[in-house]
Order: sequence, then structure tokens, then C-alpha cells
Amino acid sequence: MVPTSHYLILAAILFCMGMFGVLVRRNALVVFMCIELMLNAANLTFLAFARARQDMSGHAAAFFVIVVAAAEAAIGLAIMIAVFRSRGTLNIGEIKTMKY
Amino acid sequence: METFFTHSPADPQSVGQGLWLIIALPLLGAIICGLFGRALGRGNTNFIATSAVFGSFLLAALSFWALNDYRAVLHSAFSDVYTPHALGQQYGTWFSTNAFRATFGLRLDHLSGAMVLVITGVGALIHLYSTAYMEHDPGYWRYFAYLNLFVAMMLILVLADNLALLFVGWEGVGLCSYLLIGFWYEDPAKAWAGRKAFVVNRIGDFGFLIGALLLVLLVGAFDQQWQAGGSPRGHAPWHAAVSQEGPLHFQALEGMARVLGSPAAQLPSSVQLDSPIAHGPLAGMTFGAGLTLVLLLFMLGAAGKSAQIPLYVWLPDAMAGPTPVSALIHAATMVTAGVYLLCRLNFLVVLAPTAMVVIAVIGGASAIVAALIAFAQNDIKKVLAYSTISQLGFMFMAAGMGVFWAAMFHLVTHAFFKACLFLGAGSVMHGNAEETDIKRLGGLRREMPWTWATFLIATLAITGVVPLSGFFSKDAILHGVHSTRVAGYPWASELVWAMGLFAAFCTAFYMFRLYLLTFHGQRAKDAKVPHAHESSWPMTAPLVVLAALSVLGVAWGLPLIPYGDRRQALIENFLLSVFRTAQRIEGSRVLHIETSPWGAWASAWLIALTGFALAAFLYLRYFPAVAGKPAPAPVRMVRRWVENKFYVDELYDWLIVKPVKLGSFLLYKLIDSLLIDTLAVRGVGWLTRVSGSALRYSQTGDTQSYAAVMAVALLGGLVYALLQVFK
Repeated sequence: MVPTSHYLILAAILFCMGMFGVLVRRNALVVFMCIELMLNAANLTFLAFARARQDMSGHAAAFFVIVVAAAEAAIGLAIMIAVFRSRGTLNIGEIKTMKY
Repeated sequence: METFFTHSPADPQSVGQGLWLIIALPLLGAIICGLFGRALGRGNTNFIATSAVFGSFLLAALSFWALNDYRAVLHSAFSDVYTPHALGQQYGTWFSTNAFRATFGLRLDHLSGAMVLVITGVGALIHLYSTAYMEHDPGYWRYFAYLNLFVAMMLILVLADNLALLFVGWEGVGLCSYLLIGFWYEDPAKAWAGRKAFVVNRIGDFGFLIGALLLVLLVGAFDQQWQAGGSPRGHAPWHAAVSQEGPLHFQALEGMARVLGSPAAQLPSSVQLDSPIAHGPLAGMTFGAGLTLVLLLFMLGAAGKSAQIPLYVWLPDAMAGPTPVSALIHAATMVTAGVYLLCRLNFLVVLAPTAMVVIAVIGGASAIVAALIAFAQNDIKKVLAYSTISQLGFMFMAAGMGVFWAAMFHLVTHAFFKACLFLGAGSVMHGNAEETDIKRLGGLRREMPWTWATFLIATLAITGVVPLSGFFSKDAILHGVHSTRVAGYPWASELVWAMGLFAAFCTAFYMFRLYLLTFHGQRAKDAKVPHAHESSWPMTAPLVVLAALSVLGVAWGLPLIPYGDRRQALIENFLLSVFRTAQRIEGSRVLHIETSPWGAWASAWLIALTGFALAAFLYLRYFPAVAGKPAPAPVRMVRRWVENKFYVDELYDWLIVKPVKLGSFLLYKLIDSLLIDTLAVRGVGWLTRVSGSALRYSQTGDTQSYAAVMAVALLGGLVYALLQVFK
């Protein structure tokens, strides 16, 4: 049986990759996918602990995260389409009108 | 005859239950006039307001009849002593804490009964008079709403069976007085007069409130020590009733006075006047000293409400209100509240000889000072206002010396003739284009016959000419004061008596001066209108009734009732049921010596005549003869002093008003303007704005820099957690 730490290490790697993408990539779509990656890393952690502790509440939490991710994808993609239509770009380096 | 009066048509107990109706009727009138008066129109408002008070008068008369019924007996929860000729009803608790309770309880006895009859009777007449007097005023509905509210509040004051509810009426009449003095508020001088009255009254009310709270402490300490005193006979029912009805219930206080006032031999182990208070905030003080303090504070309150030294300055200015208001509030009823309070607390007053003498001397001093100022006033209403202060001084003399029945007698007769005088003055003003300067009136005798005749009767009554009521009431005071000795102050009675005689002389002088200058002689050349006109019947009818009452009031003063080896005046006998506790516990503190009344009668009469003669000589013979010639310098100086009311207003202005204003100005500038406005309020705003404008540059709009901050924070949290784990 695969030990729990393996799952956790994998999840940490996925999380760090996602975070790295969020911080450095300029394309909003890619940033968005990186966020999904971080969410799924979190899901993996929940499931790993749920398996280790034989506790179903980890699964429940994972489902919640999936729901949140789905809602986020729906709204986020809609926002992105709207932004692209009005500005013609998805480069978040150029989208910074909400500032001082 | 006797059975007619002692068998009332209504059952006394049910009358007792319906006592609230006497108050509710004018209160309802006030609400209707105040809310709908303008929509209802002038005639309807006049009718509603007047009939509300007339109805209240009828109810009061009915209750009074029931009061004299042989079945009218108030069984008290406080002791097994029952009170004859008293009715009471408890309508529930107003508020209560563990140590204090105030109730909506009403009590009608001969003292409050006489007051209620005067308030509603004179009040109804003045309402009727007002319908004519205010016939051209656009604010009639406001006027009648205030006037009805005043009557309701005054009735609460006199019907209350405890000091807390009495204080409601006490404040209520003060409010109505303020509203009515400043009734013509467009005139700043009149609005200021209202404010002055209110502020001066508040100073007195403050004394009342402190006194009442001290009294609560005193009752609590007394309760404890009476119980601890060995054989507390009568303590248990008293204690139970106090926790049921509250410590400020008059019967609670009466019970306390009964124990404190009984001689040591009679109740060996109980609390005495000179026993020290063991616990509580008053510890170390004796009960007698505490009571003296309480009564002096009550006297401060009474001085405010009844315009005595040092708080009399508001009453002359209160004449800024409509004249019927001056007649009702500032002569007949509200200003007598202080006298009523002392008479109501008679059993406490007789326990504190020091306070008694202070009260009597203040009354005497007020009587003289006000009378002297009245010498040189030319405003017809101002003269009457100072005369009111002077007459109230007489009542305080009597109440202070423990002759409560005489104070009440003078209160009642004074209500009749002073209301008549004021309404007469209003009639004079009404017929002379609002002229109030008596130097610019004169010769009205023929033009206003009804006003003249009633004014003359009332003048004779107030100065104390023999067959009129004022003679008997004033003489009752002078004789009572002279034949009473207060323990420890044997000089007081002679002093107060001399003050009273001098004030009586002054009264005769200034009242006759007022009468002569207004109604006799020739019409002044600079009068506003060439011919005065007599007022309409709603104004003259109350004058006639009040003049008749000023004469008939004498019936109460006739010594008809045999009592021991002398004869009591009717009203003395009548009020005996109220003052009998005081009489019983007076003991060695107050001594009534029987002296022949004839000497006092003769001297009072001679003095009134001398005042008359002097005024007649000066104003009919001497001054017309020397007209045009300047008076000698010392006379002018004295006159200037008196005309300016001895500069008391200026003195108060310098001593109190100016320093308070200066202090308020400093506080306003330093605390309010600088500290609160500038530093606190604007300072916080400034700080927020400055820090905001500095911090907003951190908001770059770059999403990824925000995310970087979050990531760093997350990393920081992780490091911290790791450090905690591996510590």
C-alpha cells in the first residue's frame, strides 16, 4: 500500500507548481488553470488524510472543493470572455485599472 | 343641616375609587384642545376646555361631599390608626426597586380637598374669563391646552398620596407655567421671562429632589433601627406597608414621625429624634438633624415654586404671560404648592424646630421685601405679583410656626381675592388697550363699574378690613404666630409677628395706592384711549363670583366650634383631621399659648387703617399738591433703589448668572470646541484620511503582486507553524 506521505508530497508538489504558475504566468487562462491545479492539490490532501484516518468527512470536503471549483470555472471563464471582448487581451500585466 | 352634609348621595368608597376622574377630565381636555383645537374652532375649544374644568369641579364637589360622610374613613395599612374624613385609592405601582417603590396612589382629605376645590373652582372661573380675554388671540387652542394641562398637573400634585407622584405634578405645573409665561414667544422678552421662571424653579426642584432622596435614606435607617430597638411595637405592619406602598408615602412618613416624636418615656426602647443613625450614608447624624436638613431642602423647593427669598425673582417676570394665567397659576394655585407641601408634611415640620424658624423667618422677610418693592412699581400686574410674594410670605410664616390651618385658610382666601384682583387687572387692561402703567390710568371708577366694585372688595379683603375674609385669615396667621413658641427659639414668635405686622401695614399701603391710582382721580392725560369700556359678561361674571367668595370666605374664619374652653374657627376644626398627628407629636417642641384674640384683632385692624390713611393722604392730597416739583434728593435715591427692586436681579446676575455664563463659555471653548470638536472628532477624521492617502499606493492593481503577498504570508504562516512544532 502506498503510504500517506507519498500522497502528501505529491499534493505539495502540485500545489507549489500551481502557485508558481499563478505568480509568474501572464496569461489569465493559464493562471486560471494553475488555480485549478492548487484546488486539486488540496483535494488530494483531503483524500489522503481521509484514507489514512478512515474518516468520510475528508471526502465530503473534497466534494465541496469540486463544487467551488466548478462554480469558479463557470464565473471565471465568463469574466474572462467579457474582459477579452472589451479589451482584446488576456494578459493580466495589462489589466490593472483598479488601482490608486 | 348636619345630616345633609354627613350623608352624601354617593358611597364614599366608590367615590374614592373614582378619584382619578377628577384629574382625567382636564387632562382629556388638554389632549383634545392640543391635538384638535385648531380643527375644532374657537367656540368648540372654549367649550371643551371650560366644561372639562367645570366638570372636574363638580366631581370635586361631589367627592368633597362624600369626604364629609360619616362612612368616609381611610383604613391605613401602616398602623391600626384609621383616618376619618379621608379617601384613598391605590392604582398600582409606578416603578419599584428592591429598596424603593413609587405608586400611583391618590388621597383626598380635608387638606387636599380644599385645594382641589380651589383649583377646579377658581380654575373654572378663569377658564370662563379666558374665553373672553383670549377672543382675538390666534393661539387660543394652545392656550387652552396648556391651561387644562396645568389644572390636571396641579390636581396630581395635591391628590398624590406620596412624594414621588407629588413631584410629577410639581414638575408638571412648572412646565405649564413656563409654557404659559412664554405663551407669546415671538416677543423675546416674554420668552426669556419663561426661561427665567423655569431655571429658577429648577434650582428649587433640585432641592426638593435631594430632600426626597435623603428622606428615603432616612426612612430606611429608621426602619432598621426601629426593628432593632427591642420591642418594636407597631413595626411589623408599618414595615410591610412601606415595602408595599413605598417609603415616600405620606402615611409612611406620618408613622415615622409618630414614633420619632413620641416622648422617650412613652416608648422607652424606640428610636428618638436625637438617636444617631447607625448605618448607611447618613451614619453619625441624628434623626433630628437629618429631618432638619430634609426640611430645609424642601423649603428650598417650596421657595422656588412659591417665590420666596432667595428664589422669588421669577414671579414678577412671570407677568409676561396672559393675565388670566397670572391669576390662576401665579397667584391662586401653583405658587401655593410650596405652602401645600409644608402643610402636607406638617408632622415632619413640627419635628424640626430649626427648620421651622428658618421657614417662618424666610416667609416674614419675603413678605416685607416684596411689599417694599411693591411700593414703587407702576405696572399694575407687577404690583400684584409682589403682593402675591408678600402674601405667600404670610403663609410661610404660619406654616413655619406650626399654625398650619391658618396658612391653609390664608391660602384659600388669598386664592379668591388675588384671583379677583388679577382678573380685575386683566379687565382694566382689556378695556384700556393693554395699558398696564397705573400712572397712565386713573378715573376708571365710573367707566368700569363692575371691575371697580369687585376690585375694591378684593383690595379691602387683601388688606384685612374687618368684615372680609382676608382680615380673618391674616389675623389668624398673626395671632397664631404670636401665640406660638418654638422650642429653643423663644424670640422667633415676637420677631415673626413684628415682621407680619409691618408687612400687613405695607400691604394696606401699596394696595390702596394701586387702587387709588387706577380707579380714582382724573383720567391721566397720556392715557392710550380716551375712554375705557367695561368688559363683557364672561369676564365680569368671574369677578363677581370671586368678589363674593372673598366676602363669604369669612364664614370659614368665624370662631363657632366649641373646643375646650375656647371656640375654634370653622376651618381650624375642619383641618383638624389632617393636622392632628402634628398636634399630637408637637409635644414640647411647639407650644401654643392661649392669648386673647382681641388685642391682635385690634392691632391688625389699626395697622390696616393706618396704611390706608397714609396711602389716601399721599396719593389723594399730597402728591397732587406737589405735582411738578422735584422730590428731595434722598427721597429720589430711595425711590430709585426700590424701583429697581433693590438691584436683586443685578446682584444675582453678577453673583450667579455671569460666573455660570463665563464658566460655560470657557468649557465651550476649551472642552467642546478644542478638545472634542477639533482634537477628537476632526482629529480622527484627519488621521484616517492621511493614513489612507499614504497607504493607497500599495494598491497597484496588479493581481499577481497581491497573490505574491498572499503566498509570502502563507509561507510565513507555514514557517511559524513549523517553528511551533519543532520548538
